[in-house]
Amino acid sequence: MSNFFNFIKDNKEKTFFIFILFWLLVIAQIETYSQLTTSGTFAATMRLAIPILLAGLGGIFSERSGVVNIGLEGMMIMGTWFGAWAAWLYGPWWGVAAGIFGGLIFGLIHAIATVSFQVDHIVSGVAINILAAGTARFFSVVAYANESQGGATQSPRISGEISSFSLPFLSGGTFLGNETIDLLRNLEDLNLFFISDISGLLGGLTRDISYLSFIALSLVPICMWVLWSTPFGLQLRSVGEFPVGSESLGINVYLMKYIGVTLSGAFSGLAGAYLVIESSGIYRENQTGGRGFIALASVIFGNWRPTGVLMGSGLFGYADALQLRSEESVHGLLLLISIVLLALSIYLLFNKKSRNGAISLLMAFGFGIWFLNSTSVPNEFVYFTPHITTLVVLSFASQRLRMPKSVGQPYKKGEGG
Amino acid sequence: MNTAINIENISKSFPGVLANDSVSFDITSGTIHAIVGENGAGKSTLMKILYGMQKPDNGILKINGDIAKFQSPKDAISAGIGMVHQHFMLADNLTVWENIVLGIDSSNLSKIKKSKYIPDITDLSKKYSLPIDVNLTIDDLGVGEKQRVEILKVLYRGANILILDEPTAVLVPQEVEELFENLKNLVSQGVTILFISHKLDEVMEIADRISVMRGGQHVGTVSKEKASKKILAEMMIGKDLPTPPSRETLISSENCLQLKDLNGVPSLGKIPFEDINLEIKKGEICGIAGVEGNGQRELSEAILGLYPVESGQIFLEDIEITKLSTRERRLTGISFIPEDRQSQGLVVESNLIENIILGKQSSNTYSSKFKNVLFKNASKNSKDVVDNYEVKTPNVQTLALALSGGNQQKFVVGREIDGKPTFLLASQPTRGVDIGAQALIWDKLKEARDMGLGVLLISADLDELLGLSDKLYVIYEGKLVKQLEPTEATPEQLGSYMTGLGI
Repeated sequence: MSNFFNFIKDNKEKTFFIFILFWLLVIAQIETYSQLTTSGTFAATMRLAIPILLAGLGGIFSERSGVVNIGLEGMMIMGTWFGAWAAWLYGPWWGVAAGIFGGLIFGLIHAIATVSFQVDHIVSGVAINILAAGTARFFSVVAYANESQGGATQSPRISGEISSFSLPFLSGGTFLGNETIDLLRNLEDLNLFFISDISGLLGGLTRDISYLSFIALSLVPICMWVLWSTPFGLQLRSVGEFPVGSESLGINVYLMKYIGVTLSGAFSGLAGAYLVIESSGIYRENQTGGRGFIALASVIFGNWRPTGVLMGSGLFGYADALQLRSEESVHGLLLLISIVLLALSIYLLFNKKSRNGAISLLMAFGFGIWFLNSTSVPNEFVYFTPHITTLVVLSFASQRLRMPKSVGQPYKKGEGG
Repeated sequence: MNTAINIENISKSFPGVLANDSVSFDITSGTIHAIVGENGAGKSTLMKILYGMQKPDNGILKINGDIAKFQSPKDAISAGIGMVHQHFMLADNLTVWENIVLGIDSSNLSKIKKSKYIPDITDLSKKYSLPIDVNLTIDDLGVGEKQRVEILKVLYRGANILILDEPTAVLVPQEVEELFENLKNLVSQGVTILFISHKLDEVMEIADRISVMRGGQHVGTVSKEKASKKILAEMMIGKDLPTPPSRETLISSENCLQLKDLNGVPSLGKIPFEDINLEIKKGEICGIAGVEGNGQRELSEAILGLYPVESGQIFLEDIEITKLSTRERRLTGISFIPEDRQSQGLVVESNLIENIILGKQSSNTYSSKFKNVLFKNASKNSKDVVDNYEVKTPNVQTLALALSGGNQQKFVVGREIDGKPTFLLASQPTRGVDIGAQALIWDKLKEARDMGLGVLLISADLDELLGLSDKLYVIYEGKLVKQLEPTEATPEQLGSYMTGLGI
């Protein structure tokens, strides 16, 4: 028993996480909230998380090289426009390539402004966002206005889609040309506590995966490898930490920053293209809906690490999937919040942090009463559940952030010494 | 003996300044060659030229007999020159080995050869007896260790000529000794060392030959046997070396500042300063010695009302000021010379007239009944400070950033001592200024003290502390661990208390 308590003491964050997960599973047993852990929800989670994940990975490259990139949103917009345009004309894979190109160009603009001309990073980023929105509108008028289904704010539906695969045996993929059983689906249908829920999660992540999603997910380990195991990554990170020192060692600081920022544009462009090709099949104005900013937030709260971004984007995707698929299950989240806050308040009160504990307790009761006296959450709240969940959880989860030391500071060649 | 470096008629000018004026001298390989001079004498420029960071306007540089034309530090590194900068060129969030190998590989996507690098670095650190744990992050290292990493870094690049730019500025005496041991060891293994400093004691101790620079010119090179502190000082400034002012003061019995059981609010899980009890009389300078980061900064901010106090009291002339705001404390007569003149002492983008008002903007001197700024007084007072404190500036409309560091500091000191404060908090008042300015600031502090000003002097310069203080405390990890008699204490003693050894 004392071992158990010691484990809790040493792994506070893990314990907290397991605690939340446990209650999520419990709540998911209630019929109304069963959508919380179905494979459908998790499949949607993945689709919704990947654009943020990609833009976030881009953000890491930029920030690690020392350039704040608030223009992720704008670069994503270019990705959506170019992605849709090329996919409409030539097919989805061309859309992917064009989306990357569109984002890359805007990344390059940001790099020229911030690195070569030392424009304030925030100013340039905001300008990128405004410029991208305007450019997309202009291009749409030129390219789509006379097309059927097209217009100044949207493109015609794109043709074709990227093929997908399922894992054999586990989730019903083909093996040597034969259909196999869908083990995870069968388990999920059994409605067993925990086992079915986990099967739902794994099934959602392994059934009907498009090749583009697969590529996107595999970029996480690739980025980690590039940033932490190669000379290029080491140099890129050193530039964001201490450009003067890096230059004194003969590293081309400008080049590194250019690569970092341009790559972040390319990643955001890919994110935009994914949004068009995998989610909507059409370009629509304001389609990105602030996902670039959420990506930037997940970069910061993810402590400038790919795994952190993966977590942040996953969380957003999950909440987004819930609000899209079933409003009732968002209502279930109220109960979860209430339980978590209650636990938190007990923890705080035991640690003699009476004021914070009391606030948590009050809020726990507040959410509890809200839960009991309603059957659904107002639409307005449902809609921004993903944003609020992501920000709240991430800011609780990571108290000790360590940002690249010189991020946001303009650097002029020859400042060394 | 071979010549490692020939410097022949090197000149370099910047807009308005001739930083190097036909400098010529030789450096023998396998020796320690010191270059001394006041700030602004052109030492740094010469070193930057040697290291390829700047190109000379004319003149020839020969490395081991071959003419060298460096386009960038990279060329200098491949010619075997390595530089240990005064401010460490280390990325804090990277590990020791990452910092050492940074930039060696061209930037590609192959795997870093960690399994080759780490043993190589360990061997090197054994060979030159520079022990270090290569897997630690720079954040976790002390100052002396960081310097060791810097030295290893340049050695790893195959440097056999090391340039050390003011290497002792950041070290306590024990660390300095250790460094000197290391340097002698390096020289015995054939490394040539260029040692830049303005501390003549150290130069006399370590160098084989000494070159003196003044006003961009090479004044002369003397061998250690023929040199003495006096000769070098005269070469450096053209007059005798200033000594810390003597102490013949009348300490009054009236209280100036009192701290009672002062505790700071913990930040990042650490209590910055703890149970501080101090009593400073009028006409007394109380010195606090300590390695940076032991709570001095927080303590001085607490006295000013910038850092929150958990418990304890602060009295100024027996009136409690613990609860007053910073502005109110300033108005009761607390003056402050901050440790960083560029960020805290001056608004460098403003001219001297505006800068003289800083900190006294709500006093009667600069603020009228209708709360508009009295620029007339400001203009007059800034002229007075410029005259009285020998601030070299074309006029008082000049922007503060156009002044050299020493002149900026003289201006700040003048502003704070002027206007009859009751108490002066001086934090590192002569850090990074040349000896001329240092002597003047010491004189002025002493003068103000003799007029009855109470001064709290927080400094890392042990000569300054020993020379000026009437009583002296050592701060270590937020506590005043020792009171010493300034007339009897030695720098070595101070150093051992400062590093927590002698307690």
